[in-house]
Amino acid sequence: MLRKIFVLTLLATLLLAGCGPASPSTPTTAPVSTVAPATEVSTVAPTPIILTDGLGREVKLDAPAQRVVSLAPSNTEILFSIGAGRQVVGRDEFSDFPEQAKGLASIGGSMGQYSTEAIVALKPDLVLAAEINTPELVKQLEDLGLKVYYLKNPKTIEEMYGNLEIVGQLTGHDVTDLISSLKARVAAVDEKIATVTEKPMVFYEIDATDASKPYTYGPNTFGDLLITRAGGTNIGGALKDPYPQISLEQIVTSNPSIIVLGDSLYGINPDSVKARSGWASIEAVKNGNIFPFDDNLVSRPGPRLVDGLEQLAKLFHPELFK
Amino acid sequence: MKFRSYLFSLLALVLVLTLSLAIGSVFLSPSELWAALTGHGSQTSSAILWSIRLPRTVLIALTGMALSGSGAAYQGLFRNPLADPFLIGVASGAGLGAVIAMSVKWPYSFWGLMAIPMSAFAAALITVFIVYSLARVGKTIPTTNLILAGVAFSSFATSLTSFLMLRSTGEVRRALGWLLGGASQSGWTAILAIAPYLFIGLGILIFSGHAMNLLQFGDDQAQQLGLNVTRTKTILLISSSLATAAAVAFSGIIGFVGLIVPHVMRLWWGADYRRLIPLSIISGGTALLLSDVIARVILAPQEIPVGIVTALAGAPFFLWVLRRAKNQGYW
Repeated sequence: MLRKIFVLTLLATLLLAGCGPASPSTPTTAPVSTVAPATEVSTVAPTPIILTDGLGREVKLDAPAQRVVSLAPSNTEILFSIGAGRQVVGRDEFSDFPEQAKGLASIGGSMGQYSTEAIVALKPDLVLAAEINTPELVKQLEDLGLKVYYLKNPKTIEEMYGNLEIVGQLTGHDVTDLISSLKARVAAVDEKIATVTEKPMVFYEIDATDASKPYTYGPNTFGDLLITRAGGTNIGGALKDPYPQISLEQIVTSNPSIIVLGDSLYGINPDSVKARSGWASIEAVKNGNIFPFDDNLVSRPGPRLVDGLEQLAKLFHPELFK
Repeated sequence: MKFRSYLFSLLALVLVLTLSLAIGSVFLSPSELWAALTGHGSQTSSAILWSIRLPRTVLIALTGMALSGSGAAYQGLFRNPLADPFLIGVASGAGLGAVIAMSVKWPYSFWGLMAIPMSAFAAALITVFIVYSLARVGKTIPTTNLILAGVAFSSFATSLTSFLMLRSTGEVRRALGWLLGGASQSGWTAILAIAPYLFIGLGILIFSGHAMNLLQFGDDQAQQLGLNVTRTKTILLISSSLATAAAVAFSGIIGFVGLIVPHVMRLWWGADYRRLIPLSIISGGTALLLSDVIARVILAPQEIPVGIVTALAGAPFFLWVLRRAKNQGYW
């Protein structure tokens, strides 16, 4: 018995005998072909792309990235919208738009835990992080020899165009047409809203698990920005925190004429709102102006913010969008 | 046989170490693993094995050892089966320190990234110092006072942490991930940073077995048997708090390991602290590593925070062990 244990221990020790500190692995970049086919004109090597990311780090790519791993749903949406969908090889757990993104390999992301193993196994030449990812994660991936670009959250729609340009540069896509069309759509909404004289009071519900203190968008959020730009008055905008809880009393006092249900994806519908006690006196409940809404259109800092703006404007001023 | 307990525990640790290197969210076949181990592996499998799994395994093992060792020490010090390393506020202090640090936008540099573990560590030690000072009565430190002061201060720190998290803008997710526990900083930096504190703290504990056995008789009896009770308690408190604070600073708050592992060791091998402390240390590493393997694999490629797995798996396991030993008065 003792002999068996001894031999087993020895074997196990031998197994780990090769342990030693790891040397950092260097990433393999796509090799530039040196043998040019006879019919091709000899091309100059592609110019390197050097950008400074949101953390102040310098990121250098020798050629546009062909294997991108996206660490945030907003990044996935940006990549697909600029036409780089085929260059994406992995995405985080929550990337669900567009439909093709769901078919890509997932690298984790719930509760802030990403599988660095899965990311490394995909052999990416660029990892696109967002503000929702921690600097620690960026450092981890950097230490593993991967190229990471940290895309800072935009604060306005115009800054979002800037992010589209950055990702366009990183993946080798021209985004001028996309940006022009987005600008045109936003300008169309702005034009119509400029003629508005009355801005309805709007209550945007993010979460009402506690119906006496629901969460809403406060100042300095895209929700607040888009509601205002779409010709509404966000009652949450008077509060201090960006994602505050607003008391039911405050809602009743402000008496919004429109309620937007950002939690409709979680099963909340206008009938469940009407059934809440204490909500019956609110004008929006009395005249039935309770609208389900896809919260992703105002919370993900990507091109779909323009969709969000248009949809909100149609909700607030339907007569202008016939 | 005198060293049977050590042999079994070490064997279990080695087994789970191997398991932790072999299993992960990406499947590597035994031949790929062997190739990577001997240096002939593909770049991906070598990177996964050496740069991801090995540092993480070592960090988790060290964390488990620290938490278990101090858990056993606290149980001996307070003579209370419910004592765990977070009893006098190390966890809540560290959490508060970390969340406060997270509300500042540190520059992306070596020291910027070390800011959060460092403030967690500092805050944990400050908390222990405050609790110790509050509990002191003249030249003695009554254990009841320590527990009461610790619980009160813990509640205060925890509610302050929750409040800060509510008021913060983008850091809630980061704070929550940290509080739930898990190796947030990988790589050898974290290991090098905590190793000295662990060596000092756990080293002192390993050699305090005899003193802790004496403490079990009660403060007065131990004093009469020749032990300088106040000095011993202070040294034990400092060393376990050092080890716990270092472990928590990088791995967040992982509950249950410090509470359950010493009890299991006690049930299996008896309550002699000269043996209990080293065994708890070894088995703590094993237990946390096993939980981490489960956390990595159960919903791959998603990874669950380790703290959740230790609670979910640890509780039933402990109840099972307790049932088997219920006829023996082990405490």
